[in-house]
Amino acid sequence: MTDVASESAAPLASESPPKIVEMRAVALGGGKTAVISVVTIAVLLGLWELVAGLRLVPPLFLPTPSEVATQFVAVYQDGYANATLSEHLGASLFRISTAAFIALALAIPIGLAMGLNRWAKGIFDPPIEFYWPLPPLAYLPLMIIWLGIGETSKITLLSLAMFAPICLSAQAGVRGVPLERVNAALSLGATRWQLFRHIILPSALPEILTGLRIALGVGWGTLVAAELIASTRGIGYMIMSASNFLATDVVFVGIVVIAAWAFVFSYALRWLETVLVPWRGKE
Amino acid sequence: MLHIHNASVYFQGRDSKPVRALDRVSLEIPTGAIVVALGASGCGKSTLLNAIAGFLPLSEGSITLKGHPVSGPGADRGVVFQKDTLLPWRSVLDNVALGLDFAGVAKAEGRAKAAELLRLVGLRDFSRAAPYELSGGMRQRINIARALATDPAILLMDEPFGALDSLTREHMQELLISIWRKTHKTIFLITHSIDEALSLGTEIVVMSPRPGRIVARHAVDYVKRFADGEEWRTIKTDPAFVRLREDIRGLIHSSERPEISEPRFAAQ
Repeated sequence: MTDVASESAAPLASESPPKIVEMRAVALGGGKTAVISVVTIAVLLGLWELVAGLRLVPPLFLPTPSEVATQFVAVYQDGYANATLSEHLGASLFRISTAAFIALALAIPIGLAMGLNRWAKGIFDPPIEFYWPLPPLAYLPLMIIWLGIGETSKITLLSLAMFAPICLSAQAGVRGVPLERVNAALSLGATRWQLFRHIILPSALPEILTGLRIALGVGWGTLVAAELIASTRGIGYMIMSASNFLATDVVFVGIVVIAAWAFVFSYALRWLETVLVPWRGKE
Repeated sequence: MLHIHNASVYFQGRDSKPVRALDRVSLEIPTGAIVVALGASGCGKSTLLNAIAGFLPLSEGSITLKGHPVSGPGADRGVVFQKDTLLPWRSVLDNVALGLDFAGVAKAEGRAKAAELLRLVGLRDFSRAAPYELSGGMRQRINIARALATDPAILLMDEPFGALDSLTREHMQELLISIWRKTHKTIFLITHSIDEALSLGTEIVVMSPRPGRIVARHAVDYVKRFADGEEWRTIKTDPAFVRLREDIRGLIHSSERPEISEPRFAAQ
């Protein structure tokens, strides 16, 4: 009798380790890209240093990375345009976080109500559909005329800009709740409030977080633009004053600070998603 | 126990003409029975289940449960859907306890009841897992446990095993029979599988489409024979079983007249 089984059951250890294979694919799989990315950043910085250091471009237009770093320390210690870097940054962060809270506090209930209730949808749909495609800077002058040049006009502008994406995604979140999930809860005896609290709100949460992510993107863009136009403090204002004096290195400092904080915000949101909606994409 | 009297349902059809999805269906589901509604898609069996569950109001007729008319969904009728309806933000145990939470049962008491039901469906060791970590068959067992937790008078099952592979499906059928034996629950189940209907039902109601109505009823005892220890092999080769299966198959196929002249693709 031929022993078929013994052949395949031969111990692996006596041979060289097996060659692990996987299906060929066109699209990018789960391979690590961190090293490639770090090298790319290093190469870009090196090229920048080289181009600027060899004075291929006038230093007035393109300072070297090390000059930007030096200027960063200088601005951090001595300040620029009547305020320290921390004060500029603090003003900007205060505006965007206050606006984000206001937008969240209004957009989530209104958006959920619009997804659930005919009256809420009918009342809020026209104004929102009218204003949200507008670029916020188009109605900034109105905000300034109505609310003055101070914080109120900028925070209102930012809140409006951040409201729409959150509101629309909360609506979409409600519409995306599977009917079976609702019916299952009703047949388990859920009251209307329990249905909202235990089924609809958590079901809409992933969409709301997506909306918040979009809103923060819009918020940063609007914030800096608003500070460029009408402000006496803030990262956008610092960039604007620096460009008036052709202090390109300070402009770069501002850009780097904004990029770093935008990154921090998006990273924090990603973390928030893993904490609040760990089931996302696994259903 | 559950009485359906002359139930009709009309939906809005194309050309704003009403379409009759359910046509004067009368049915009685006695306590402890497993009534299986069987038929091709579009025969109104889901419509009937939705009406019993209270998700869909009737156009005509009435449904009463223990003498009380059905006017909306409620915890006295547990529902298991074909699609998994577990909440991904709740653990398996908390999902089973959902209806008890709604009813205001104390947390510890509810969790103890839920753990007991998880043992009944053979998932005692998974109470802390998240639903999305489990297979389709396991999730459906949790759905059954959850529907039983509020101790409903009747369990309504809407093609509960339709999305499962055939091996899992057989396990689930046997599990359902063992639950039925232990709990003596009244069950109304719909399926399009003749074999499943014959294996699970104490009464089989064959439905036909356009309009959805009952065309045959059969009282069968195969599920009781299996519950009493007879093997599927001998039950399913019983000449009476085979003959009934072929009769029902013939009935379903003849009622499903393909309308060849229907101009479905003509409007191009």
